Amino acid sequence: MSTELLQAAAETNQWWAIGPEMILGCAALGLLVLEIVMPKDKRKLIPHVAMMTLLVVLAGVGLNFDTEWKDQELFGGLILLTDAGQVARVFFLLSSLLVCYFGTVCLPRARAPRVEFYHIVLVVTAALMLLAQSNHFVMFFVALETVTIGFYILVGYYRESTRSLEAGLKYLVLGALSSAIMLFGIVLIYGAVGKVGLEGGAHTGFEFSVVADFLRHHPDNFLATAGALLVLGGVAFKIGAFPFQIWIPDVYQGAPTPVTAFLAVSSKAAGFAVLLTLVHRVFAPLEGVLVPLLSLLAAATIIMGNLSALTQHNTKRLMGLSGVSHAGYLLLGVTASISVPWAAGAVWFYLFTYMLASMAVFGVMAHLAGADDADQELEHYERLARDRPFLGAVLAIGVGSLAGIPPLAGFMGKLLLFVAAFQAHLYWLLAVALGSVVVSIYYYFGWIKAAFFESWQPSGNATSPSVRPVPAAPSWVGVAVMATLALATVLLGFYQAPLTSWLLK
Amino acid sequence: MSIGLDQYLMLSAALFATGFFGVLLRKNTLVIYMCLELMLIASTLALVAFSKFNGTLDGNVFVFFILTIAAAEVAVGLALIVALFRRRHTIQVEELNQLKH
Repeated sequence: MSTELLQAAAETNQWWAIGPEMILGCAALGLLVLEIVMPKDKRKLIPHVAMMTLLVVLAGVGLNFDTEWKDQELFGGLILLTDAGQVARVFFLLSSLLVCYFGTVCLPRARAPRVEFYHIVLVVTAALMLLAQSNHFVMFFVALETVTIGFYILVGYYRESTRSLEAGLKYLVLGALSSAIMLFGIVLIYGAVGKVGLEGGAHTGFEFSVVADFLRHHPDNFLATAGALLVLGGVAFKIGAFPFQIWIPDVYQGAPTPVTAFLAVSSKAAGFAVLLTLVHRVFAPLEGVLVPLLSLLAAATIIMGNLSALTQHNTKRLMGLSGVSHAGYLLLGVTASISVPWAAGAVWFYLFTYMLASMAVFGVMAHLAGADDADQELEHYERLARDRPFLGAVLAIGVGSLAGIPPLAGFMGKLLLFVAAFQAHLYWLLAVALGSVVVSIYYYFGWIKAAFFESWQPSGNATSPSVRPVPAAPSWVGVAVMATLALATVLLGFYQAPLTSWLLK
Repeated sequence: MSIGLDQYLMLSAALFATGFFGVLLRKNTLVIYMCLELMLIASTLALVAFSKFNGTLDGNVFVFFILTIAAAEVAVGLALIVALFRRRHTIQVEELNQLKH
């Protein structure tokens, strides 16, 4: 190997291009150092350091949105900065900021280490951002595993609670299973591509563009197609699509509430960022297999999610299973985006509305949760609207937006996806989705009903359920955060232009 | 009989299948854990075989990344199993059923 080749490879190492991820990684280490050097009474400030870092990085990414490295392959083809990647960066930073805030609300209630939570959240955020920009299967797999292993720790974070540990173990076994399946897929693709032999030494069978080229010329290659299906199976696990959704209710229930929010929003969004990249850039030549497969997955996911959510009484399980149906709607958008390009933007719009609404709901849950984090039943929401009208209102707006009630943002998100599906001629899938939206309104309204209307009590019964204490009032920061989320949800229902002009280019 | 790429791939597929069904069917968490590692090792074997027979080096490099990731996964996984065993005194899958409805 000549030195020119190495020099040429080193020239694409633009470290500033991954500055945000580097800053987050360094800040994550810095938090651990701070815990050692800071006096004990000042350690409460460490979460604020984490949140400030996220805020600064978010501002930096926002200001440098149009980077000079756009659409260039960096680090010898490991990373490709795209518009979608930048959108993903903003999304993950915003979501992690909210997760850190919920952490400051929930963690003091439990006997758990405080600082490591923020450390892992920052590392996972950096890995999520790299994942959305990866252009190479090695980068893709390493970033994905960094995210997943971080999540194993976060899900089992309450070491004193057997339910949290059990959820962590279940997530670990099923997550590692899906990673192994995905890895085998990557290996098969590498083997199939490498067999043909490529001109030029700098390209390898792991690069997305090389794989796409190979598939374009050999669409019937058995090894590569099998590999592609295995990789998509691994991604389907991350988003909780139909045959791989079994882990969702248990893990969502056992995980600490901020982690449940992180899983529901960031992990799912990462799955869809990856899926969009794979479907459009890598496996695009396999369109004939992908469209029927994805539509079938979408339909099954929507139906399964909604039907299993109908019977849930635990709000965390309810959020998880209704999240499965949201993943189904998003899969509908991904399927449509194969023939209607703007649908990819609609998927991101839906993810943003989903983040705003879910985070509002998780914010209420974080404030309401008692000592046992896994135990959050619908009955606990009784009299919420009377005791804490603000929390009740935020809950109603968030849940309403998730159900897709006009004029809230969730309605616009669903509308855009459905219009895209209509343009892509996915009529039967659209019918399934519309029917399921009606079903979902039933269980979402069960939740609102629990919060706003007194349930009927048989008169004169002696064994009335023990009255729960009125939840503590949120601090002014909590009020500000949740009011912003609720307000954004309402405003996005009326004026989508700021977000759509940015996403639907 | 000479050993070619196909034999390596068959061995790797057999290892992968053993691991996969082991994860689905075994009841002891530690055994499930070993089966997960077996699946990763099967991928590694296929990767090395492809790398050798295709004459490209990057497959070998990927193996190091996979080993690192597998080690991290084992560290976290065993920590979880130990912490759970301390509280519940069992690592049998069918007894880990606190999370239901």
